[in-house]
Amino acid sequence: MSADDAAFLASLAPPGRSPYHRLNPLTKAVLASVESLGAFLIGGYLGPIAILALVVASAAVAGIAGRLVRISLLLTLPIAISVVLVSVFTRAGTHILFSIGPFDATSEGVDFAGQTLVRLLAISTSIGLFGLTTDPRSFVLDLERRGLSSRFAFVALATLEAVPAMVERAGVIQAAQRARGLDTEGSVRARLRGVLPLVGPVILSSLTEVEERSLALEVRAFGRPGRRHLLWRIPDSSSQLALRAALLFLLLVAIISRLAGIFPSLP
Amino acid sequence: MAATWVRALVALVAFVVVLVVGINVVGAIDLTKDPNTGVPVGFNTIVTILAIGLIVALVVYLATEYAQTRRFDSITSQFDTRTIVLIPIAIAINIILGQTVSAALKIPVYLDSIGTILVGVLAGPIAGAVTGGLANLIWTYILPAPFQSPYAAPFFIVAVEIGLLAGIFGRLGFFRSRPDTPPARLAIGAAVVALIVAIIGIYGFLPFYTNAETNVFQLLFFAQPAEGVPAPAPVFVILGWLVALLLIGAVVGLIALLAIRRDLGAAYVFVAGLVCGIVSALISFPISSVVFGGVTGSGTDLLVAAFQKAGDDLGTAVLKQGLLSDPIDKTVTYFVVFAILGALSRRFIARFPQGESAIGLAEA
Amino acid sequence: MLELRDASYRYAGYAREVLHDVDLRIDDGEIVGLVGPNEAGKSTLCLVASGLAPASVGGTLRGTLTIDGVAAAGMETHDLAERVVVGFQNPNTQRSGIAATVFEEIALGPMNLGLPVDETVARAREAIARLRLESIIRRDPQRLSGGQSQLVGIASLLAMRPRHVILDEPTAQLDPAGTRLVGEALRALAGTGTSLLIAEHKTDLLDGLCTRVIAVDGGRIVRDGPAREILDDPTLADLGVEPPARARLTRALAGAGVDPGVVAATAAQEAVR
Repeated sequence: MSADDAAFLASLAPPGRSPYHRLNPLTKAVLASVESLGAFLIGGYLGPIAILALVVASAAVAGIAGRLVRISLLLTLPIAISVVLVSVFTRAGTHILFSIGPFDATSEGVDFAGQTLVRLLAISTSIGLFGLTTDPRSFVLDLERRGLSSRFAFVALATLEAVPAMVERAGVIQAAQRARGLDTEGSVRARLRGVLPLVGPVILSSLTEVEERSLALEVRAFGRPGRRHLLWRIPDSSSQLALRAALLFLLLVAIISRLAGIFPSLP
Repeated sequence: MAATWVRALVALVAFVVVLVVGINVVGAIDLTKDPNTGVPVGFNTIVTILAIGLIVALVVYLATEYAQTRRFDSITSQFDTRTIVLIPIAIAINIILGQTVSAALKIPVYLDSIGTILVGVLAGPIAGAVTGGLANLIWTYILPAPFQSPYAAPFFIVAVEIGLLAGIFGRLGFFRSRPDTPPARLAIGAAVVALIVAIIGIYGFLPFYTNAETNVFQLLFFAQPAEGVPAPAPVFVILGWLVALLLIGAVVGLIALLAIRRDLGAAYVFVAGLVCGIVSALISFPISSVVFGGVTGSGTDLLVAAFQKAGDDLGTAVLKQGLLSDPIDKTVTYFVVFAILGALSRRFIARFPQGESAIGLAEA
Repeated sequence: MLELRDASYRYAGYAREVLHDVDLRIDDGEIVGLVGPNEAGKSTLCLVASGLAPASVGGTLRGTLTIDGVAAAGMETHDLAERVVVGFQNPNTQRSGIAATVFEEIALGPMNLGLPVDETVARAREAIARLRLESIIRRDPQRLSGGQSQLVGIASLLAMRPRHVILDEPTAQLDPAGTRLVGEALRALAGTGTSLLIAEHKTDLLDGLCTRVIAVDGGRIVRDGPAREILDDPTLADLGVEPPARARLTRALAGAGVDPGVVAATAAQEAVR
């Protein structure tokens, strides 16, 4: 293979904008998993807040701290409101802080709400950091290089394409229906009536394509047993390998600690 | 065929062995009812032993198959190219419907398992299970915004169970359309369903929701309780009526459907959806209460709050909410899948690994 | 060589056969055109000749399919893929859906064959060159025009370096320039010893390209002979097949009393250009 070809192939891999972006996707995935599982296992306030700080610091290295915090808050907000309303006012507790009508706000309820909130924030920011700094396609292909079956890799990659493609298809069908006079704007009921006739054709047209698409794939030797030699690779390093091992060990320690009752019990 | 029976037998023996060993190891199982919930105290232990038994039985089944044939055909046959191509589309259907429907309508009908159930029915239980698990994991870890949701991944076990059940029901023919059934058989079908719902309701739902340790009918009809038993609180009487009305309404709806469409398949789909809903609620409530504090950000949170106010702990409250919303969601979803199967051509379905058993033998 | 003998085929779940007693033989380097009215069984014939029916779609095949001397019965689809490829009309379903760039889309087939990277790249480059796709190799395959998609689809098949290529309406979305490009690429391909079967409505394309033409009607082969002879046959129109422009012109001139040799000479000039 010529040097030109080698350079071309290298250019197909997505670039990394920051040192954090350039980490191998598996490392970032392990980080996200250990961080979110850790926040959940440790419980209390100190653990999740420490993890939250770590995640935001990593995001700062990646140059996306502001964006990450904004998106995580947005995602967690609806649940946060529910958590607060439900837990504060209805958890059984003895220390009543104030009352609104028949509902008593207990300090136990506030405590529970607080712990749940920091846990949720830690989970959504750590996973969000992974999502914002990792090209999903590279992640899947890296997994395949490490031994993931090419069929699983296909399913993951194809889903990546299938979801936006289906939304686009829905848009096309909706435009066609609108051209035939179907009202799609307006009150909730009108919108519902506009969405319902969409569901059938979108689902059915996606499904009937399965036959031709699977034939086309089989013609291209899909499902042939054995490994494939992928065109490009995301670099990995021994220090990242060590980091992943250390993180998984920490996770194991956390699981054992939780089972042994070392951490504060979840309310 | 004989080989399959051997495998099934060996697996069954393994299951029974685990059960016996498990019960002996644990000692006597406390079957006295918890005064708050009406559920036996040893419930968790029973469930754990059953789950371990199932897993061991599955492993033994596969090991026997490997010893017999050196392959895992019962699993790999479910994953031909057509299934592999279908799975991403099914996952996309899950995610898009799950996001739009739950956002647009505030009722607890999520419709985010349609793809999983479709794959289960068409390709088999393992394929359905894999679809469910992958769907939730991809939804959280692989999809970028705006489609990504960080809350799906912990529930992947529920999705796996949904796929498994759908595959089993599909193989057993629960999704077959049985058009032009004579009225006599329709009536029998409706009666059987009504009986099943009545049994589940009277011995399961009603005591659980009303925290009743005494006669449920006394509770519902304000009869005088026996000497020394406290009178039931009004909120439980109302709850009891609510649940009873829901169950009766569902059965009436099914009877109407049977009468209009004259397709006995609807009765099978109804029962399958109900079972799936109950099992899903049982599996998801620990995840929901421990990971998310029982909160989902939708209207059902008010229900959880109400149950907690009435004195239930978080886990029980979440389970009660789940047992109300999940059967509704899953039954509706099962009917949607039934409709989709009806709309797809026979030729298309027959090419999938389990297609023929799912919709019945082809004519002509 | 690809050979079908006494082939009759029935789809799964159907009682009636759609192909009856088909005898078809395509030698290495031959370009065979396939014409016929709609619903005559052209697409089914393409599926059967590639072995996908019954290997992938099920159904029952009576008779035999032999590819390079080896019986195709019982072969796995990926084994068939190493020998024969078939392309269908709709470029949207021909797309794999998992490639980020056109280059990766075209390289997918060789990669699936388990080839080392150098070999994959070489085959991809070769196919790209054949169809002049260099300018779009970095584009997103989902965002191409219909014509570009179709060219990428054909290139993806050629990158497998199959001995036998079957194409069902490969130029449906192409303009005349694109059609000519495909014709040249296929002619060059046949020169390397690849056998080609091309189902088409555009008989003009077949006219300049094919050595042989077969016509299918009602699931049977009703014409099989040298291209010029079959395409000039006036009864071809009864089969719902539009004769090529050259044949129509020749007939019109002959009817008007003008020497048709004029047209033949002009056609020869066109072929050289």
